[in-house]
Amino acid sequence: MPTKKTRRDFLWETGGGFAGVALMDLLTRDRVVSANSILAPKKPHFAAKAKRAVFLFMNGAPSQVDTFDPKPELTKRSGQAYKGPLTVGSNGRAIGYLMGSPFEFKPRGKSGLPISELFPHTAKFADDLCVIRSMHTDTAAHASGCLQMNTGSIFLGKPSAGAWVTYGLGTDNQSLPAFVVMTDPRGGPIGSASNWTAGYMPAAYQGTLFRSGAAPLLDLQPPAGVNDKTQRQSLDLLHKLNTEHLASHAEDSELSARIASYELAYRMQMEAAAVVDLSRESATTRERYGLNDRLTADFGRKCLMTRRLLEKGVRFVQLYSGGGHIEDTWDGHNDCITNHKLHAGETDKPTAALIEDLKATGLWDETLLLWGGEFGRTPTSEGVGKPGRDHDWHGFSMWLAGAGVKGGQAIGATDELGFAAVEERVHVSDLHATLLHLMGLDHTKLTYFYQGFNQRITGVRGEVVKKVLA
Amino acid sequence: MRYALLLIPMLCSAADFATEIRPLLARRCFACHGPAVQKSHLRLDRRADALQGGESGIPAFEPGQSEKSLLIRYVSGTDPKLVMPPAGPRLTVAEIALLKEWIDAGAEWPGAEVSAAPKVDPRLAHWAFHAPRKPVEPSVRERAWVKNPIDAFVLAKLEAKGWRPAAAASDADLLRRMYLDVTGLPPTIAEQDAFRGDWDGLARSLLARPAYGERWARHWLDVVRYGDTNGYERDEAKPQGWKFRDYVIRAFNADKPFDRFVVEQLAGDELPDRNAETLLATGFARLGPWDDEPADPAEDRFDQLDDILNTTAQGFLGLTLACARCHNHKFEPLLTKDYYGMIAVFNGLVRPRNGRTELDRPIGIPAEVDRFNERERQIAALREPARRAWLQSGRSKLSPEAMATHRQTKRVPKELEREWAELPVEAYVARLKRETPDLARGYFMEEPKAVPKATHILIRGKASSPGPEVGPSVPEVLAKAQPSFALPGGRTSGRRLGLANWIASRENPLTARVIVNRVWQWHFGDGLVRTANDFGVMGDRPSHEELLDWLAVWFMDNGWSLKKLHTLILSSNTYRMAKTGNAPYAAEDPENRLLWRMPYRRLEAEAILDSALAVSGRLNPKLYGEFVYPKMQKEALEGSSDPGKVWKAFEEETASRRAIYYIVKRSLMVPLMEVLDVCDTSRPAAKRQTTSVAPQALQMFNGDFINRQARHFAERLRREASGQAAQIELAYRLALARRPSAAERDAMLSFLRTSSLEEMSRVILNLNEFAYAN
Repeated sequence: MPTKKTRRDFLWETGGGFAGVALMDLLTRDRVVSANSILAPKKPHFAAKAKRAVFLFMNGAPSQVDTFDPKPELTKRSGQAYKGPLTVGSNGRAIGYLMGSPFEFKPRGKSGLPISELFPHTAKFADDLCVIRSMHTDTAAHASGCLQMNTGSIFLGKPSAGAWVTYGLGTDNQSLPAFVVMTDPRGGPIGSASNWTAGYMPAAYQGTLFRSGAAPLLDLQPPAGVNDKTQRQSLDLLHKLNTEHLASHAEDSELSARIASYELAYRMQMEAAAVVDLSRESATTRERYGLNDRLTADFGRKCLMTRRLLEKGVRFVQLYSGGGHIEDTWDGHNDCITNHKLHAGETDKPTAALIEDLKATGLWDETLLLWGGEFGRTPTSEGVGKPGRDHDWHGFSMWLAGAGVKGGQAIGATDELGFAAVEERVHVSDLHATLLHLMGLDHTKLTYFYQGFNQRITGVRGEVVKKVLA
Repeated sequence: MRYALLLIPMLCSAADFATEIRPLLARRCFACHGPAVQKSHLRLDRRADALQGGESGIPAFEPGQSEKSLLIRYVSGTDPKLVMPPAGPRLTVAEIALLKEWIDAGAEWPGAEVSAAPKVDPRLAHWAFHAPRKPVEPSVRERAWVKNPIDAFVLAKLEAKGWRPAAAASDADLLRRMYLDVTGLPPTIAEQDAFRGDWDGLARSLLARPAYGERWARHWLDVVRYGDTNGYERDEAKPQGWKFRDYVIRAFNADKPFDRFVVEQLAGDELPDRNAETLLATGFARLGPWDDEPADPAEDRFDQLDDILNTTAQGFLGLTLACARCHNHKFEPLLTKDYYGMIAVFNGLVRPRNGRTELDRPIGIPAEVDRFNERERQIAALREPARRAWLQSGRSKLSPEAMATHRQTKRVPKELEREWAELPVEAYVARLKRETPDLARGYFMEEPKAVPKATHILIRGKASSPGPEVGPSVPEVLAKAQPSFALPGGRTSGRRLGLANWIASRENPLTARVIVNRVWQWHFGDGLVRTANDFGVMGDRPSHEELLDWLAVWFMDNGWSLKKLHTLILSSNTYRMAKTGNAPYAAEDPENRLLWRMPYRRLEAEAILDSALAVSGRLNPKLYGEFVYPKMQKEALEGSSDPGKVWKAFEEETASRRAIYYIVKRSLMVPLMEVLDVCDTSRPAAKRQTTSVAPQALQMFNGDFINRQARHFAERLRREASGQAAQIELAYRLALARRPSAAERDAMLSFLRTSSLEEMSRVILNLNEFAYAN
């Protein structure tokens, strides 16, 4: 039976019920952990290594046979027509011929995990990567595909994985957003904010867009013409008047939570600005993340900011590679080869630098990395005479790495040509169950009562992929 | 041998239950569907249970009809995803034939009567499933506090605990509370000055203002998952979709009886007196999100029907019927056949569109629409041959490539459009258009046929697995008899009208209770039932069941008039209590379920923005019309897949309208609205959340909208008052409808020694008291 949502649950969800005075005491400490906040840290269901997660979202859908799923048979039969039982491609687009990958796969690391030459830097960490080659999803369209990968459902209005994790674990640092999203300068993913929404949960759990530039958060800086001294004076006046109002009226947890939110905002203003200030990072670091190269500078900056956000206790970070439409994303309909060289080229070096830094700082043991897009791409070319690839939702690859993950392995398999997952099939919901499990959350217990029943990110599906676990 | 006999079935008598069928079932089925275990709630060792079916709600077999029997479908593995038994060898051809034969012969089950004792479902006794009766007003000791029966019901519960209600709110507090509650705007200075203590007169006056409809329509739009765009990839504006919002505003302002409001939204096109307004009302069915590139069009069709059904069930009936799509409801006495019976009601609807382009439709009384459609038919019949002849004549200046593209895509380039406009036939067209002018257009679904296609129960909710056929019906638990779904001689099936009339009837146990409870929630913050969309067994028990029933019956007795209901609530002493705390009461009843005081609640996003505009003097009072795009920071567009195109903001004055007119763009909500907990627009929203987090404070304190209003506010103060003390007093009266205390005035004066009037204005717009009326 589901538990009915009671006022008590509501108070738990919003963290209410504490007196404002005690809260203000907490606020004066260095690291603000507000017991009154809806985002106060919560214990996981069971002990787990991963405390934080990073989702490297390869928007537009990378091709499995060009990245992490080598297919010699496909290469051998390159140029032949496809005569299989599957529905191939999307939207009635014409199907061409089988198209082997032009990218060389080499066994990497001690494990010998094969990785394509698109990722020379990331390949150095092959022994840390756990590739799932047998992913599959329910849809061939970007909008519903991105929704499913992010929220577990092809329908609009469901909370994203980052929102679920934030709901489940809260966050350690109240002066930074719990769940940060960074999109591509070419645009957001299709569906935009639906992909990091809190859906039917309170807006506090939704992803906060960290924007480019010195003020990463919307309205982070005081309005033009207001200096920091005036800002502080205004906040002090507001605080004084609100506190008097609270005292002369009823004690009320909502009123005191709102008072606290202004103080947290003030701290956020400083802390967020500090986090995006990369000027004090060494030249070597900047070089490792590719900040000096136009190709890698944007994703490199985002990866470096990710490291800094993780250091500050941010719970969930999602980075998008690719934005807008078609070739501006991994959506290589016209020329998948050039497309993937570009997008892999933009992301490979920064991703490796992030892994390297996390290992160096010890955060690696507490941080989970997830890499992949909304589905995969066909082993056939799209149309005839152009090296594009269409959408493939029957089979694709993703990888996990970091805390709690057994690296240096590939789980599951697609058929000999790479069309569909055939062995140890892993549905998107299984991936979500595994992600939550790695963070100490049981996907069947992490529920939110809405529309008459206990909702889950996995709906009625989801099995933890045991082989992933270290 | 049995097998030999099967080769000549004509000669064979029915398979014997005791010696052949039962042992087969026992061997292969009972382990999971027997006396000890009932997976999916299916039990096959008793006939009555087998006929009831498992959680799918479909009988395991239909006596006499093996081809329609689920049992046969599963064991024969026609659908590879649904094969039984799930483990061990498949049933042999002979075994399947045996089962078929037994079912076709009537599925005799000797001794079944003994085990078939009818089960009575205790959930049927649930309070909300039985029509409300008007309870007697309770007697109380403190008679003087009782202004109307609401007070008697509330006070009786307080007195039973030995408690007393909170004192009355001060006049200033109550004045601002009532203005904000009813109109969403604070009282002006003139209104504050003119008020002489006639509260009932004030309530009447506020309810008569258009601003009342602009505020209360928004409450209803939450319930019906209103959005101006479809969401998903294209997320385009629905053509004329905003007219539904205007319809709702007008309905509230005109005090349209709620039963009529229900019928118009569900079946405004099936009413005998249908007209432009009732057609616009049926936009209800088309408000939800839909995928412009659905993964599976057949599933998508049912997802859209589900959206309509779910909104109807939760919105009007407070029922989570949509949970019965794949199996009988796990917690409520709602069955899969109840669900598909309601799907059958809506199954005749289609969404007018051309590929991915949404189409709107002409609106008017039937004769007007018929004339217009005939005109369109005539125009098409004239134009088509003339245009074809033109293309074949070789006189077109279109390049051969453009011509080829046009032939292939049917798209009409501008150049060709101009040429066509010159054709002689256009003179006739113009005459037709003069004789029969264009009609206004609206956005709603259509039911093109009087007999909709058959509706089937879908096994596990899958469009690809149709089960038994069902006709239109309403949930059995609520109706002693099914309503009539016929519309003799109608252009449509009349099913929606049948449903609507049943929902809007006095016999329906839920409709009046559900809306009365919503109105209570919108006045008090929480409903008497706090789960406004769920009155089922899993829903919240009412805090004041008798009061709820009394109000529901009173509401129906008074013509389902919302304004009368508001008037009753606003005139009660319960509503007029202060929000003062009471530590002992709070310790015992922290949720204020007994209503020992008026609870604090934050104004909704819309009311906060509207109030700021009213206070700054920049509120554009224009009523109705197409949505507006307010100013949006460039950075806020970074997450969009089309950052350069997605948002074309209007200039300030046009955009400074009440927030109900802001475009509700599903993939890009106005950030300030979003952070102030505007509701989810994908499903019927029961209640707004209230959260206070740092990003909200950032936008309220640093953001463009509030700071712009603060600047206008400061200019206004300078314009309308001279001297700092007078400006402070004016600021308090405008924003908080009261004068500042001496301490507040001193604090402000001291602040103004180093800071500007703009900064003071910003602080005032950020006060808790501004967002939380006393």
